[in-house]
Amino acid sequence: MNELIPRRGTVRLLALLLMAVLLLAAGCGGSSTSSKAPGGTAAPAEKPVVVALGADTRTLLPMKIVDMTTYQQIRNIYDTLLTRDPKTYALAPELATSWRALDDKTWEFKLRQGVKFHNGEPFTSESVKVTIEKILDKSWQSHYYTRFEMIDKIETPDDYTVILHTKQPSPILLLRMQGLLPMPPKLLKEKGIDELAKHPIGVGPYKFVSWTKDEKLELEANPDYWAGKPLIEKLVFRPIPEFSSRLSALLAGEVDVIQNIPVSAVEQVNSSGKARVESVPSSRVNYIALTNFKPGPLSDRRIRQALNYGVDVDGIIKYVMKGHAYRMAGALSNINPEVNKDLKPYPFDVAKAKALFQEAGVDPTKLTLTMDSPQGRYPMDKEVAQAIAAELKKNLGIEVKITYNEWGTHLDKIVKRQTGNMFLLGWGPALDAEGTIGDLAVKDRTYSGFAADPELQKMIDNARPIVDPVKRKAAWDAIQKKVYDEAMWIFLWQQEDLYGVSNRINFTPRADEEIEMWRATYRK
Amino acid sequence: MTRYLARRLLETIVVVFLSLTAVFLMLHLTGDPVKLFLPTDALPAQIAEVRHRLGFDQPIWLQYLRFVAGAARGDFGESLRYGVPALKLLLERFPATLELTGWAMLVSLLTAIPVGVISAARRNSLTDYVGIIITVTGQAVPGFWLGIMGIILFSVRLGWFPTGGRGTWEQLVLPTLTLAAYTAARFARITRSTMLDVLSQDYVRTGRAKGLAERYVLYKHALKNALIPILTLVGLQLGQLLGGAVVTETVFSWPGVGRLLVQALLNRDFPLVLAGVFWVSLLISLTNLLVDLAYAWVNPQIHYG
Repeated sequence: MNELIPRRGTVRLLALLLMAVLLLAAGCGGSSTSSKAPGGTAAPAEKPVVVALGADTRTLLPMKIVDMTTYQQIRNIYDTLLTRDPKTYALAPELATSWRALDDKTWEFKLRQGVKFHNGEPFTSESVKVTIEKILDKSWQSHYYTRFEMIDKIETPDDYTVILHTKQPSPILLLRMQGLLPMPPKLLKEKGIDELAKHPIGVGPYKFVSWTKDEKLELEANPDYWAGKPLIEKLVFRPIPEFSSRLSALLAGEVDVIQNIPVSAVEQVNSSGKARVESVPSSRVNYIALTNFKPGPLSDRRIRQALNYGVDVDGIIKYVMKGHAYRMAGALSNINPEVNKDLKPYPFDVAKAKALFQEAGVDPTKLTLTMDSPQGRYPMDKEVAQAIAAELKKNLGIEVKITYNEWGTHLDKIVKRQTGNMFLLGWGPALDAEGTIGDLAVKDRTYSGFAADPELQKMIDNARPIVDPVKRKAAWDAIQKKVYDEAMWIFLWQQEDLYGVSNRINFTPRADEEIEMWRATYRK
Repeated sequence: MTRYLARRLLETIVVVFLSLTAVFLMLHLTGDPVKLFLPTDALPAQIAEVRHRLGFDQPIWLQYLRFVAGAARGDFGESLRYGVPALKLLLERFPATLELTGWAMLVSLLTAIPVGVISAARRNSLTDYVGIIITVTGQAVPGFWLGIMGIILFSVRLGWFPTGGRGTWEQLVLPTLTLAAYTAARFARITRSTMLDVLSQDYVRTGRAKGLAERYVLYKHALKNALIPILTLVGLQLGQLLGGAVVTETVFSWPGVGRLLVQALLNRDFPLVLAGVFWVSLLISLTNLLVDLAYAWVNPQIHYG
């Protein structure tokens, strides 16, 4: 090749090559010049407030896909029938102003009057009816189908009353109304669901402006919002998958709210002068499931209890979690309105643990257990798994072998019952007893780690249909006691959620991870 | 020429097909992704229904045949995560990747070739050493580190450029430079080494001996003959980058193909991953073909018959 003799101008060739690249770049760069620059000349108060999340919304449709990141965003466009009080987390009115059980299988909801969709359509009982019917339309393949399956018939005696009949007594129906986001019936009928998927029309505090997939979702305050126009005028959700980029964007003043600040970055954010960390005890609980699908040491209740006595959970909270977690006694967090307040956490008592092992006739120093842990899914999850293994080794002499899984694999192993004897998992938002214990303590439920003993199973089956609130509470209190006595898990803690918030706004995070931007305000 | 082209295109189809087959089998070894896309309280019946609808309950050979039949028509199925056709989703992201790649290529070529030529011409001089240090560093420093350092310095400290996103020219600067740093280093190194090779040839000495200007010798005689290896590398790099600059796009939340594919892999979005493999292998094969054709243009002694 080296004996070649040049024929054409090399400079010209090079220029052509560069021009080709230039054209290539210019061809697609054209669109970018037309879009507006962020901030820049606009007055500070008008600069949009930006919430950066780890992923984009998966759809703009309500009631289609169950996905927290999606819900966090479209919840600002659509209102729900019932909400949870931001302080007590008890069910509270939103689009439904009152509700009652007419009998065990019939529920009546009175709706708020004078509410309008963003397209001017009035919000009526028809909207609720059409929305539930859409969810129950199997061909639409909504993830929410199983959550509304208990509904048998929907009546709308007048514009502001909805009566729901369930197939069996299903008090959990009330919980389903939290998160039911009504769609506009007239629009659905005239233009179809695809139109709504492109341009969402809700009754919520923010109106849809535009969505560029994987770039941003732009919203603007709804001037006709029934609870008053939100103070933050322009709202943008931006997906930034990489955490360090999210943090940098916050510190550079480009975004105003980010989630899941790691414990190690709290100081950096607070001392930046640009942003601060706001914390909230999360409803999400972290626990070590003690599986007993196959016969083994963990089938013995005494050994499960001994593991609870043998781990210094408070010590792990202090030294590993740096205090950013709240100890729980049983399977429910303290923020759960249905928690049994009589339960006290298992104390750290090595002698008691050893005695229980002796009673069970098992020598802990000859015992080897396996544990599965995700890494990077929950705060300090990997370190927590290591700390628990170290505690069990140090205090009881138990050898624990940990497998760290990539998140998808971790879930898959749990579902297929292929984990080790123990696995670390978080569960949330967990604000009711049935949705937590009813899913996690019942043998054939997807993410259960516990082959419930027949008695516990029976208690849960009996409790599900109880409508009377007092009797219901009593039944679930007893179940929590049973789960505690059975030592279903090594009970750990509810997480503390840490949000980074820019100093130009006030924003209060919620225990259930919802992001209610209409409650945020500019700081003076 | 036509026969050559036909043969190469056929080869491209075979390469793409084999890549898809390999990735299809590997993906299915990792298990069934359905549960990741359903809510945690989904009942077994609901999971079974979705598995059935997506065909994950069928024997693997049947799934494979169905996949091949679909892929042949450009239909990779719907993305499990987004519920829209996978290939469409991918093509929507392509302009962003094309934009970033285009600028990064431009910047790297404009800097790397002069640096490589000068380094070679002034071999073992201070200029050469500085050039070598910069290019070795550029190649050795991982892209994610460079990107994050760029963000910390230019966005957080100095506030000159945004930390990420796409839409304005300011948002283009840091990702372009991050991406260009690596490619420019590679281009500069290969330019330098092939130039050194060419400059030791007899005709260069002859050119100098007959009194040609040094600039003329370097750029007109030497560089043109050094172009073939450079062109090869540019082609390889271009193919890879068009398939998505995975790290740079993720660090700068640049909504391109690379970021989409990383997310698809993490989410085990099988149809999207397969559409991505199709796209990337197609681009790499085609850019390779273009490079081979360009050889004939640069060097008239190369013929494809």
